[in-house]
Amino acid sequence: MKFKHLLLSIPFLFSMSLSAQENITVSGTVTDGQGTPMPGANVILKNTTTGVQTDFDGNYLLSNVPSNGTLVFSYIGFSPTEVPINGQTTIDVSLQEDTQALDEVVVIGYGTQKKADLTGSIVSVDAEQIEKTPTANVVQSLQGKVSGVQIVTTGTPGDSPTIRIRGLGTYTDATKVLFVVDGMFYSNIDFLNTNDIKTINVLKDASSSAIYGVRAANGVVIIETKSGTANKKPQIEYSGYVGVQRAQNVLKMANAEQFVTMALESGSAADVQFVLNAMQRYGRSRINPNIPDVNTDWYDEIIRDGIIQNHSLNVTGGAENVTYSLGANYFAQEGLLDMKNEYERFNVRSKLDVDLSDNFRMGVNTIFSNATQYKPEDAAWFKAYFAVPILPVFDEMNTDATPTRYASARAVGYRGTQNPFPDMVYNNDRLKIRKLLANIYLETDLIKDKLTFKTNYNVDFSALEERYVDLPYNMGFGDERTSQIKREQNNFYNQIWDNLLTYKDTFADDHNVTVLAGTSYRDEEANELEVTGRDIVGIDFDTSWYLDFADPLSFNNNVVEKNKRIYGQSYFGRLSYNFKERYLLYGTFRADRSSKFTQEQWGYFPAVGAGWVISQEPFMQDNGIFDFLKLRASWGRLGNDNVDASSGANTIDNTTVDLGDNPATGITATSTFTDLTWEVVEETDFGINMTTFDNRLSLEADYYIRDTENAIMPVFIPIANVTINRNSGVIRNTGVEVALDWSDEISSDFNYTIGANFTTVKNETLEIEDTKGYIDAGSAEFRQRTIVGEPLYAFYGYETTGVYQNEAQISADPTAQAAIADGTDIQPGYLIFKDQNGDGAITDDDRVVLGSFLPKFTYGGNIGANYKDWGFSLNFYGQTGNKILNRKRGEIIFTNDTNMDADLAINRWHGEGTSNTYPSSAGLRDGWNQKLSNFWVEDGDFFRIQNIQLSYTLRGDKFKGNGMPDFKFIFTAERPLTLFSYNGFNPEVSNGVDRQTYPVPAIYTFGVNVKL
Amino acid sequence: MKDFKKLAYRFTLIAMGVFLIQSCDENFDTRQGQLNADDLDYSATEDMIQALIGAYQIFATRGWEEPLLLSVRGDDVNAGGLGDQQPFADTDNFTYDQGYWMYNSLWNLHYGDIVSLNTEISLIENFKAFAEGDDLTKADQYIAEIKVLRAWLHFNLARVWGEVFIIETNQPDGEIANGVVSKEAMMQFISDQMDEVIPLLPNMRPNERVDIPGGVTRYTAYALKAMAHLENEDYQGVADACAAIINSNKFSLYPDFYSLFKKPGELSNESLMEMQFSDYNSGTGDTFYHLFAPFGPQTWTPARANAEGGWGFFEPSMKFIKFMLDRNETVRLETSVCWTDRGIAELQTDPNYATLPAFVNNTTRDGDVFNDYARALFASGKHYLPSVQITAGRNNYAGGKNLIVIRYAEILLMYAEALTRGANGSGMTADQAVNLIRNRAEMPTLSGVSTAQVLDEKFAELAMEWGIRYYDMIRLDNYGELSYDGRTFSATDELLPYPQAQVDALPELSGDDQ
Repeated sequence: MKFKHLLLSIPFLFSMSLSAQENITVSGTVTDGQGTPMPGANVILKNTTTGVQTDFDGNYLLSNVPSNGTLVFSYIGFSPTEVPINGQTTIDVSLQEDTQALDEVVVIGYGTQKKADLTGSIVSVDAEQIEKTPTANVVQSLQGKVSGVQIVTTGTPGDSPTIRIRGLGTYTDATKVLFVVDGMFYSNIDFLNTNDIKTINVLKDASSSAIYGVRAANGVVIIETKSGTANKKPQIEYSGYVGVQRAQNVLKMANAEQFVTMALESGSAADVQFVLNAMQRYGRSRINPNIPDVNTDWYDEIIRDGIIQNHSLNVTGGAENVTYSLGANYFAQEGLLDMKNEYERFNVRSKLDVDLSDNFRMGVNTIFSNATQYKPEDAAWFKAYFAVPILPVFDEMNTDATPTRYASARAVGYRGTQNPFPDMVYNNDRLKIRKLLANIYLETDLIKDKLTFKTNYNVDFSALEERYVDLPYNMGFGDERTSQIKREQNNFYNQIWDNLLTYKDTFADDHNVTVLAGTSYRDEEANELEVTGRDIVGIDFDTSWYLDFADPLSFNNNVVEKNKRIYGQSYFGRLSYNFKERYLLYGTFRADRSSKFTQEQWGYFPAVGAGWVISQEPFMQDNGIFDFLKLRASWGRLGNDNVDASSGANTIDNTTVDLGDNPATGITATSTFTDLTWEVVEETDFGINMTTFDNRLSLEADYYIRDTENAIMPVFIPIANVTINRNSGVIRNTGVEVALDWSDEISSDFNYTIGANFTTVKNETLEIEDTKGYIDAGSAEFRQRTIVGEPLYAFYGYETTGVYQNEAQISADPTAQAAIADGTDIQPGYLIFKDQNGDGAITDDDRVVLGSFLPKFTYGGNIGANYKDWGFSLNFYGQTGNKILNRKRGEIIFTNDTNMDADLAINRWHGEGTSNTYPSSAGLRDGWNQKLSNFWVEDGDFFRIQNIQLSYTLRGDKFKGNGMPDFKFIFTAERPLTLFSYNGFNPEVSNGVDRQTYPVPAIYTFGVNVKL
Repeated sequence: MKDFKKLAYRFTLIAMGVFLIQSCDENFDTRQGQLNADDLDYSATEDMIQALIGAYQIFATRGWEEPLLLSVRGDDVNAGGLGDQQPFADTDNFTYDQGYWMYNSLWNLHYGDIVSLNTEISLIENFKAFAEGDDLTKADQYIAEIKVLRAWLHFNLARVWGEVFIIETNQPDGEIANGVVSKEAMMQFISDQMDEVIPLLPNMRPNERVDIPGGVTRYTAYALKAMAHLENEDYQGVADACAAIINSNKFSLYPDFYSLFKKPGELSNESLMEMQFSDYNSGTGDTFYHLFAPFGPQTWTPARANAEGGWGFFEPSMKFIKFMLDRNETVRLETSVCWTDRGIAELQTDPNYATLPAFVNNTTRDGDVFNDYARALFASGKHYLPSVQITAGRNNYAGGKNLIVIRYAEILLMYAEALTRGANGSGMTADQAVNLIRNRAEMPTLSGVSTAQVLDEKFAELAMEWGIRYYDMIRLDNYGELSYDGRTFSATDELLPYPQAQVDALPELSGDDQ
């Protein structure tokens, strides 16, 4: 393309040469700081369009340039360098990396902008950072790297982590962030391979994301995939790693001895009997004859190590008017749960950009992803907690059990079968995920370098084929299951067509203006089909795992099809203006129409921003302190249309009832109905950007207030016993985000970087409509309540102040006496609850907010150093201020004879002075202590070494001479160490309720990267 | 300038193209995959019965906790709550927790269903607007049936909480604003409403109905009327309403008391109101079940392999068992109680019961063995279905068993009590009524029955059924009977406190001293 420029400018040159001096030919080499040749660097004669790009070896040749002219050398990410020709015919230039990053360009909605000109808060993470994390899901790689963004890791292979940008702004489950991948909208980017990504740009504040209108309320993340470079020979790159995953911090359970001790102290005759039964059935331990000869560590039984591997092969390059990037990728990960639990993905992608003519460009981008996920049976995690250690995995005496003689806890008198193995072995849950992303665009210059028009069509086709096979089994003791297959077919076909006009100009040298106007049309169709069949013929063979083999009668009432199609139409525009890059103004507007809403289909989303680059003021020149200093403020309005269009229904449902032993079909109707509309988020953001110490230290800080107006919240309608959603609440998130980075280059052989960031988030409910004054969630036993002035879904219960140590203490405590008078038995070893309202009795009114699952403070940091061919980096991440409901423990309220973790068993109160926080074994089984209190709700703080990476580059040419490729060897330890006090084996619980959370493994990988 | 024209031309073309293609307005006016209630064809009056069937579905879908909470406070039954659901056991001991979810659930499900039934009435009224001739009569009958179902829910609410709301619409804001009515007023409302619907209802036994087998008839309405009058201690009203049922000569006691509560006894000539459940005798396909597991034993050895046990939440009381043994009851005790060895041993610790009849055995006559389990000593036999009667391929405890709500035996005993309290009976004598019951129970006949004898008979006959015993005792302020096995009952324990969530949501409920 640049050759064309050159050709075009030839007549221009001739005309210039008439009045100019002697013209000469200049040649040379452009290299980077390390002396490596830089292909594709731009060499331009200043104030002209005359220029060339360097070739594969960094060489350039520019003829017919005036000998008194000036050449400008530039390359993205490097400081442009101007060199006066002064008659030289050879000019070699070494470009310095642009640490100041003033010219760094970041991706914004429907365009790009210089980072220095931003008035909002956008954080970019580049490929190098992303690739450090061995993961199937790109989102995971952001954890701890971007302030204001909370990532909650999932341990399940193939599942997506939870991402929250600037707190929780909606009560509904429509919390999904908008991902824009090369222009297409996604809520789930599990199809992307980390190696294919060029940058991730997180649009944190409302002014930055408002151009995405009604989709932007939960934040926007723009992802660009890698492209080729013109005039570059094909570069073939293999990059891959193989590693092992290991469960960390596995929760220690009470062993048989501790369990039996607890059972004996429980005061429950039945519990003692079960232990005796177990001794009868399985024998007595030779070491301690009072415990059964079984000591099963259930977590140990169900957990395994898993293999993770990733292999990518990419080719990038370009010819004169074509650039391309092609690749294939295979990723596979085994789960930690010892069953058919794994994830596998194969991706093929291609990206092609073509200059059709001088002013027409077009491109095609496709990604095809084919993944298979075998889902874990998460109930196993809970059952392993709950299963008694005096139960073996197998029980040859359980002769009724088929096909495998698994032990059943019912054999020794327990209510459930407890053994997690049948769940793991007799379930096969497969999800096939096939996604095709295709994009085609055509771009034309209406006015060269000033006005461009781009039309862009995107399509996303996703087919999710889910199959849940329940194999038949008999566990003996009445626990039998017949075979069943549930099939789900969920197809999504989404299209977006964007048209953009961009005008860019500079007036009177100092007024820089960019104007964008665009339209967008979207069409989103979802079709869901779900069929369940039972009694599968030939279930023993996986070749029969199709509904064709099910009893046709079993399909009755077991077929569901749903279809949804939503159209959207939008007009949007953006104006950015700056005067001398000193005063910045920014504004966007989007009008969005959605067919989803029946009442008001149009929504309007404006945003404005302003910035003052103080360091560009004349009086700040050469101030010696600040290399760059900018103050900025912005405001914007966003929408969340990912909510239901209505709540309740005025619809008719078919129901079946038994009348005279025949099914009779009737109709029922619901009478409560409200139309809903999108939620609106308004956010004000104040920020500062600063670099100092010769551009070595940079600081970016933001303070924001983010309000969700007309938040959709449930309103309980008493008597009708209906809870209906209405646009009725106000939610506020406020916070401070600070990112500090220090980087320095000590010598050409050694450089290092240190970075740190932290985030505070305060989540608060400002208004609700429900007449009760609160909104309850969770079950009655594990209450979460939303109250004005408190966070959403706060844990709600009693506050404990200690444990009754003796009878005297109980007699002296009026609240205990009140409870006893009311018929409740209080014993030493029972929890003491705080009488919040001072009425002398512990009642429902004494419950208070016990905390939120949202961390109040998160922090991350990194240290990186490069010495010659060695590289080292370390990332850490932590959070505080969040609570986790330890529901594994808390479910003792439902079944109190099962196992518990060792911490609970060891630290229990068992006599005066033994504990002032843990109840006694008998107390644990009593309703008084089982009430939700801060005994069951624990701190979720943790600190983690997120990633350690050590790399060594073997320079091929030094090793074996020219022509040998470079090899980079990388050792990565992902999450090798997590420190926390929570009594579970994973402090990352997305919704704060830990019942059967999949553990997050530590991953150790060895990787190789070769460039040919 | 030529360039400018060209540019303008290009620009206009693009703008027009984009605008034309993107303005597909009709797409914004339809929504796929919805059928709105307004779109239903109400002129198809043959479909009207579907709204009635929907009402029976609403009536029969009861939460598992509802029958438990309605009954647990009686001296016939215990919570069996060793551990699990402690506040349920506390309730059995008359220690009430306003925040306990079961109270709130009973209130919510009852009122929610009342509102849903009102919606069914409005659907039928929509059809009625198009109806002609017989269909008009049918519409009135259907609405009358739903009002009887609704009356039963109102009746329960008033029994449990005393002062409650009467709700007759599906937009109840106004009715809520009117506040709660006294229990007496509620019973009077039920009686008046039954008077209004009786002429509209079919003159037959529920099991004689062909359109809705087991559906409401005018005798169901009489039964509810009698129960309402009983609550208000208007014994003449009780006698009159019961006499209407007795004198119809349509009802009789099902001869086999044991089987009355099993599959053979479903929709018998004794049944006046019954919730029906079934798997339609098929091992696969759809089922319509009540969850009987709370009534079941935690462990058992069923005669039919793989039949599942239950949760052990509902235990016949030792007091009831001893009462029955003292009376030398046979079939009624055998039917009411499923025994475990642990329970029998516990019973035998009392020397008066060292020797027991042969049927006191942990194996039922259908061969199911009730093993010892932690939660309870006994299980309710009236909520037990022999495993051999469970459809092959189904394993749920008591899967497909019906729940009888009102049966003729209760009518006879209400009638007898009313007569012993001086009411005039236009049917039979009190002795005749009681002896019908005793004959079936293989008990000797009585003559000159007293009120106390009738109440004892009621205890023996209707134990474990819907709290009948408890509500009799609080009607008569007989707190001594309720102060049993270590419990102390006082007047303040009669009603449950309003659920906290309702007090919070309904200002009309506070200001009211519970």
